Amino acid sequence: MDEPLIVVVLLLVAASATAAVAVRDPVHQALVLAVLGVALALLFTVLQAPDVGLSQLAVGSVLTPLLLMLSVHRVRRREKGRKGKAR
Amino acid sequence: MNGWILTATVGLGAGVGATVWGVATGPLRRRVVAQNMSSAVACPGLLLLSQGFGRPAYLDLALLLALLGPAGTLVFARLLADDLAADPPHARAVTLAAAGYGAVVVLVLCAVTGPGRTMAKLLVIGALLIGGNLVASRALSGGFAASRRG
Repeated sequence: MDEPLIVVVLLLVAASATAAVAVRDPVHQALVLAVLGVALALLFTVLQAPDVGLSQLAVGSVLTPLLLMLSVHRVRRREKGRKGKAR
Repeated sequence: MNGWILTATVGLGAGVGATVWGVATGPLRRRVVAQNMSSAVACPGLLLLSQGFGRPAYLDLALLLALLGPAGTLVFARLLADDLAADPPHARAVTLAAAGYGAVVVLVLCAVTGPGRTMAKLLVIGALLIGGNLVASRALSGGFAASRRG
């Protein structure tokens, strides 16, 4: 009954997942992962599983990208400190 | 398939499709704006889906997205402040368009549901969504760098 909606959201998930794999820079990847999380939550909602969508929204669109960003931030700061010491 | 679901399909396809394109290509400033816009576009879509499926409980998803989306963007803006300070994003038109879309959807749904608990929830979601996105957009375009300078 809602096939067009399901097809549209599936295409969104496929596009953003492909982008998440194709993008190489970790910072950009974290941003794409956030959008992928939103798209997956939409897919679960469209397939009548709002409880799964709720947890996907919290974990996939916020927690995972932010964990990634925090670790990238930390690594960068450590590298900067090491360069400063070498000088 | 009713009018609500049709509108949600078009809105999600065009809006989230554009943000996927924006987040996958281009410079960093465009990607962070696109990430911010993804929650601003998906949230009205979820509201329309909730109305279209006739399940008011689905509003919780939109509420969570309206709460967490801008919060996530703020943390991105904080952690990327140094990168963004050199090349700050200016997306006033896109932000206002997304805020207007959210406001229109919330107002139409309020008019349809009529007064009651659902309407209060809709208004809270709308306020969180629009306020959060304006704040997050401002933070992206240099709020953190400015506050650090002075």
